[in-house]
Order: sequence, then C-alpha cells, then structure tokens
Amino acid sequence: MVKIFIDEKPVEAAEGLTIFKAAQNSGVAIPHFCYHPAFVPEGSCRLCLVEIEGSPKLELSCSTVVREGMKISTQSPTVREARRGVLEFLLAEHPLDCPICDKAGECKLQDFYQDYGLTESVFREFKEKREKKVRIGDKLILDRERCVLCTRCVRFLAEITKTSELGLFERGIRSEIGLYENEPVRNGYSGNLVDLCPVGAITDAEFRFRTRPWFLAKGESICPLCSRGCNIFIDYHPGFSRVPGSAKVYRIRPRTNEAVNGHWICDHGRYGFVEWQQKNRSEKLVWNSGNGTTQMSWSKVMIAIAERIKALRERKQSGRISIVLTTWLTNEELFLIKKIFKDGLGVKHLFFADPPPGTADGLLLRADRTPNRRGAQEMGFEPKPPDFAELSKDTEILFIFGPHLAGSAGDRAWKSALEKIPVKILVTSHLNELASAADFVLPAAFIAEKSGTLTNEDGRIQRIEAIARACADVRPEAQILLDLAREIHLDDAYFKALSGPGSIFRALGKDIRFFEAKP
Amino acid sequence: MTMDARILTKGFELEHLRRIGTYIDQGGYRAVKKALTEWKPEQVLEEVKKASLRGRGGAGFPAGVKWSFVPQKTDKPKYLCVNADEGEPGTFKDRYILSHNPHLLIEGIVIASYAVGIHLAYVYIRGEYELIARRLEEAIAEAAAKSLLGKKILGTAFGLDVFVHRGAGAYICGEETGLLESLEGKRGNPRLKPPFPASVGLFQSPTVINNVETLANIPLIVLNGAAWFLAQGLPKDGGTRIFSVSGAVNRPGIYELPLGTSLRSIIFEHAGGLKPGRTLKAVIPGGMSSPVLLPDEIDLKMDCDSVAAAGSMLGSAGIIVIDDGTPILDVLAKVAKFYAHESCGQCTPCRLGTSWIHKIVKRMAAGKGRAEDVDTLIRLSANIKGRTLCPLGDAAAMPVLAIARKFKGELERAMKGNA
Repeated sequence: MVKIFIDEKPVEAAEGLTIFKAAQNSGVAIPHFCYHPAFVPEGSCRLCLVEIEGSPKLELSCSTVVREGMKISTQSPTVREARRGVLEFLLAEHPLDCPICDKAGECKLQDFYQDYGLTESVFREFKEKREKKVRIGDKLILDRERCVLCTRCVRFLAEITKTSELGLFERGIRSEIGLYENEPVRNGYSGNLVDLCPVGAITDAEFRFRTRPWFLAKGESICPLCSRGCNIFIDYHPGFSRVPGSAKVYRIRPRTNEAVNGHWICDHGRYGFVEWQQKNRSEKLVWNSGNGTTQMSWSKVMIAIAERIKALRERKQSGRISIVLTTWLTNEELFLIKKIFKDGLGVKHLFFADPPPGTADGLLLRADRTPNRRGAQEMGFEPKPPDFAELSKDTEILFIFGPHLAGSAGDRAWKSALEKIPVKILVTSHLNELASAADFVLPAAFIAEKSGTLTNEDGRIQRIEAIARACADVRPEAQILLDLAREIHLDDAYFKALSGPGSIFRALGKDIRFFEAKP
Repeated sequence: MTMDARILTKGFELEHLRRIGTYIDQGGYRAVKKALTEWKPEQVLEEVKKASLRGRGGAGFPAGVKWSFVPQKTDKPKYLCVNADEGEPGTFKDRYILSHNPHLLIEGIVIASYAVGIHLAYVYIRGEYELIARRLEEAIAEAAAKSLLGKKILGTAFGLDVFVHRGAGAYICGEETGLLESLEGKRGNPRLKPPFPASVGLFQSPTVINNVETLANIPLIVLNGAAWFLAQGLPKDGGTRIFSVSGAVNRPGIYELPLGTSLRSIIFEHAGGLKPGRTLKAVIPGGMSSPVLLPDEIDLKMDCDSVAAAGSMLGSAGIIVIDDGTPILDVLAKVAKFYAHESCGQCTPCRLGTSWIHKIVKRMAAGKGRAEDVDTLIRLSANIKGRTLCPLGDAAAMPVLAIARKFKGELERAMKGNA
C-alpha cells in the first residue's frame, strides 16, 4: 500500500494501481471517454488528465500509476480548464442532435458538459458532414457525426471477441470508425458496442427511436437464457397505473459482475430476453373443456384443480400425479414442487422439459440454455427428459411447467402421450401448441415478473426481483404452488409459514445445506 | 565562412564517397574496427555519454543516456531503429548524409548496436526518399560484402543485420512510437508512454531509436574521443549541427557548424543574408514546430539550451527565414494546414484542435477573419499544448501560439474592415 493525496484527502492505495482506480476507490469520479476497466488504457480522449504536484504537465489518470506521497488534484483550475478544453473541442464538431439522439439522457458528453463545459460557443466554422446511419451490424447503426473516437468499440472487438470487425480509418479530422471491406460486425456480442459507446454514435436498431432513457426504470436481474447466469439490468417502462399490462421491457443491459459475466452479455441473452418477455405470452386463465374454451378466475381454477387432486388422494392414488418441470423455475419454485409433489403427494414420475442445448461460444454463452439446472441438481432432482411411455401409463393428472415440452421431442410423442392423460394442467409464461393440448392453462410469470433465486453453473445463487408486471392475470409459480398447497390442505402449518420467496428460501436452506446462508 | 567545422559533411564534394571503396580510402570503417576489436561495449557507451551527444532529431535527448536505458539482461531481442523519416518542414539534412555518405551512417549503426548489444537494425526512411533508400540499400550490400555487416563482423563474434523500411508519407511516423507502430505494419498512431521504447519498443522488445545525424556522429566520437568531440561544440552539447537553412536567404542549403554558432551569423554570413532591399521579419529556428523568433531575438547561440532559454527550440535545426515580403498570415496558414493534415487523429485536442485552428486561419486568409479570431487561436493552441498524447500536439500548438502572440498586431490589422 502507498499513501497518496487526492484533492488533499489522504488515501491508501494498492501499489501498481492507477490514479484513476485509486480515485474511484475513494469515491472520486474522474470523467473519461476512452478508458474502460476491461481494456488496456488508450489515453486518447485526454479527459481524465489530473495535476500531480511536481509534474510539469497534466498526467493521464487512467494510465499513471500511484507513487508514495503523490499529491493529485482532480479539480484544480488547470485540470478543469483542460477538461473544458477537451469538451469544447468535441462539442465544436458535434452535431448537437440530442433531441433525436437515443443516447440523450444517458450520454457522457452531455453529463460532462454539464459538469465541466457550460461554455459559450465560439465555433464559427463549418462542421464536418459525415454519414449518420451506417449499418455496421445486424442491429447496429453508426452515426459518425456523434462519434468521439474513443475507440472502445474497436478495442472491444479486438480484445474481447477477437473478431476485429471495426477499425480506425483515415486520419486527423477525417478519422472515422469503419468496417473492413464492408464486412459487418457479426459476433454473438455485438450489442455490447451500444452500451460501450459513451455517446450516441452506435445505437441499437431494436431500441432506436422507441422510447427515451429517462422514461425507463431499471431493475437488477439475471439472464435466464443459459446456465452462465449473467447479471443484467432490465430497462422497462413501468407503465401507467390505469392501464393494466402497460409496463414494457425495452432492453437488457449487462450489469458488471467480474465473477460471472464481467462487463458483457451475449446477444442471445440480450435480444432473446426481450423477445421472450414480449412475444407469445400466456396472459389468460383458460379451461379447455369438452364444450370449448372458457376463461376462468384464479379462485375457481384452484378449486377445480384441488378437487381433482383431492379425489385422487381419497382413493390413495396421489402417486398417479406426474410432473414435467423445467429448470427455468427458480430455486424457491423447485423447492415448493419438491415439498408438495414429491414429499407431500408422493409423485413418482418427475421429468424435466428444457430448451434444447445450443453451442457454447467460449466466452459467456453456455451450451446449457437453462438458468437453474445446477439448482435443481443440488435440490436432489435429476433433470432427465420425459419418458413418454412411462408418463402415459397410469398418469391421472399431469402438471406441466413451462412451454418447453412441445419442443423437447418429436411432435407425436408428446401429443399422443398427452391424449392418454385425463387431466393436464399447464403452468406457463408462454403459449405454444402445448396450450391447446392442456385442460387448464395457468399464466405464469417470466423472469422479470417474479422474485427468487437462480443457481448458475458455478453454483452461484443469484437473486432476481419482480420488476415489471406484465398482465393482471399473470402469477408467479411460487404463488400458484402455495395457493395449491393451501387449497388441498397439505401440511397447513408448514405452508402457512411460507409467504414469499424470502421465507421459502430460508426453509430451503434448512432442508438442504447447499442453500444455507446464501445468497 | 570557415570550412574547419565540418566533420560530418567532410568529403561530401567527393563524387564517389557513397561507394565503399572511396569511403575506406578516406579512412572509413576504422571506427568500427577500433570499437569492435579494441573496446568493450560499455566503453563505447561511456565514451558517447562523455561526448554529450544530444539527439539530432528534435528532442535533443543525450544519446548515451538513451542507450543506457535499454536493459542489459533481457530474454527478448533488442532493436535499433534509425529514424530517417525526416519530415519536419524546413529540415533536409539527413537526406544529405544518406545520399552522400551512407557508410558513415552504417558505421554509426554498427557501433551503436555493438554498444547496446543489438543484432538487428531497421532504417525507417521517409517514403519520398526513394532514390536515397536505394542508395542506402546498395551501401548496406557493399558493407555486407566486406564483412562489415552480417554475421561475425570483421571476424569478431559480433553480428548485425540492417534492413531499410520505407515510410508511406505520414509526418506522424517520424514520432518515435508512431514509427514503431508503422514498422510493425500497423497504422502509425503514437503509443502511450510509459512504457518507453527502451524497455518496450519494437515488437514489444527493448529498442533504441536514433536520428540519422545522431548516429553519423558515433564513428567520429569513437575515432577521436569524447574530448575532441566536445571541443567541436559546447560542454553540454558536443559536436556540430547540420543546419538546414531555407526561406528568404541568398544561399539556402545545409551548413554544418559548431553548436553554439549564432543564429545571426548563420543567416547573414553563412547563408548569405537576405535579398537586397528586404528586412528580416521572423525566423523559425528549429523546424516548423519551433516557435518563431523576432529579428531582435537572433543574437542567439544555436544550441539546445540557449534556444530553449529564448523560448523556442533547436529542434531539428531547420532554420526558416522569413522577410518582410511575406505576410505573417501566409505563414500561419501554411503552419495550420500542415498540422491539421498530419494530425493522426488519435487524441481529441490534436485531432479537433488542429482542424479548428486550420478552419479559422483559412477563413482569415479568405478575408473573413474577425479581430477576436487571434485570441481564439491563442486560447485553442493553449488547450492543445501539453495536453496531447504525443509531441505532435505541442508541435502544432507552439508555432501558432508564437505567431499569434508575436504578430497579434499585424494579424488584427489584417482583419480590420472585414465584415
């Protein structure tokens, strides 16, 4: 450790640390464009210059390492003037099209100008005209007038994905970011360029002109689309109180967690999440009786289902209930299922229907496209695919969680198996062919709409929170399961004590050591 | 005019000096033999340090000290890069050494490499010097044929290969780290320092980068000793400098003179003074990047420290003489255009500052300037100076600052009457 002074305040900093990081650790933010913690310092934006006592020139905080006794000023008049100068240069050639820029509201150039600029414009020359909508990737649009040439995008593609689609072309004022031979950015991580861009130079075709960042609330969550469990922000419009279901998820961004995903998420998660969130949602409680389809209320459905279970129990045949689960369910939900169906009702046939595995990309995306397989395993489940012959043999009631059964095997196998089962209850967040084959369709929550925990491939238990509620009829599976347990009067005292994900997780921790005292 | 001072340009009048036969007849390659057979590498280094040989490229850093920064023990190869990019406007001295006496440079390269423990040297030569590059390659082939390059030079254990690499015309590739990037086959963007090339240079390995003229002095130091070399110049700035004199003088050209020669005598004695009826208006003393001096500032000793004390710099010793026939706005326009054109665009103040300055000056030259533009130029240059990634920012800002400050009256008068 070395002792340094940042703005006259004594600070202890680890040897070898840069001034930038030492300042950050002590709560002093230094403005910057080109610096990014995941990349080698570039030193080109010249915004992070600080004054060091005894140094004739201002020094870069992003690359200068702390020395014992160093006296650093991040706010001296010279430093502020240098920052003001850099911002003045950038703004002189900036198109100032903030009113139609998607980055407005979360733009670093706007923020820093607010802090250090605020100058009268003396620029009387003609601004450079540049291309404003260059398609550089499937979902990426480059505006060269807004670009501050921090080269974060170039370095991300060179250092992280190692695909190097973008490069720096021309020189001086004509310098620009561009593609080599017009080959577009095509890798599974292109969306990160939008987050990395400190200004509105690279925008996302999916987000472009859809909303304004200041209308969006952000919630912390976990990406459910593979077993890596990347930490994410869900940016959503909270909706209008008088309009049910008006909340809307607009985009997913990575939430930095060095132990899991670093600073990035993959495109499969980023764009897949929003698609899952918005499309083919199961929003209504439906009973497909012989006389057609009826919409029902939750209380009536729960009574109807409970009656059927109770009838089996009276005949001591509750073992004829079977379940198809999914590892999309949270630890809490899986635990409730274990308690109710396995321990309580003695269910014998318990299968898992999950999204089919994909290909791992060597960076973040895993072949296992489920978020909680490890959690299910730690809980004692064996996540095996359905054996349709066994399933259809003597099953009276079949609970299916999630929509994935329809995609898990050949069409005929699941269809003909289901035809032989008298009562099929589908608890799902998404609709597909399965819904028409089920007797009851219960609309369940997707990841952004429920609270709980997921266990990633490393055994890391991570929390998700109910952020945006999509539709009035949608209920989290945990709630459905607890209501069911109460309706069939299965160990009333035990289930009464369980009210929310917190208490369920504590009960889970008591039962299974792995989940003890985490997260 | 005295001819005594010439040590580097001695024999330039000989027709075949660039041929190894003539060069050896004139006493060439004795220094290599002496260094490699009689001296240890440390002795060479020590002698060069004692000689106070300061870099001839522009920064004036002592060459011996630079060499000593290269780590003695390293598991990586070490490289020598000869900076023959000579791009500083007003500078044309290295081309004479390269074209008239390439073996003097090669001899310097061999001795420098021996001193630092280098076995591979590159000469990064300005792209426009096509004929000169060819001549240099011929000279290298001649030297190799006489066992003065290649494995076991002169039968000793020391070996060295030299390659010529032609630049593609960018001023920035004369900046040492821009040069390294370019030599590695990349875009010639300067690197962030530290680490300095002496520890992490070409291909991530320890690298010495020296100017052509700097290296050409090495054989003379080895042959004649540091004391003799110092006697040719000043105690802190040994030897001679080849001054490139251009502009409004009667005899433009190169003049090799002892360090410390006065600027006035260079202009008015050596270069033959101004054209009849003209008076001196300004002098750029060390290449275009150096701040201009006014006529009352030219009683100045031309060595690194004295010129720095006068608020300018000796730089590459390219002296541009401006007389009263040239409007200062024309000079400013040339300066502004050059740096805006040559800025690599990597860092913000240089990329946008040089172009903004150029736009203002262009407008001024088009008769649309305003009096307050001069103050804006001063403010913008001050915001570039000392704030950029590499010295090009300073090089661009300093001449503009000096012209705008020293000729503010003339510039503002020129703006009068503009709408």
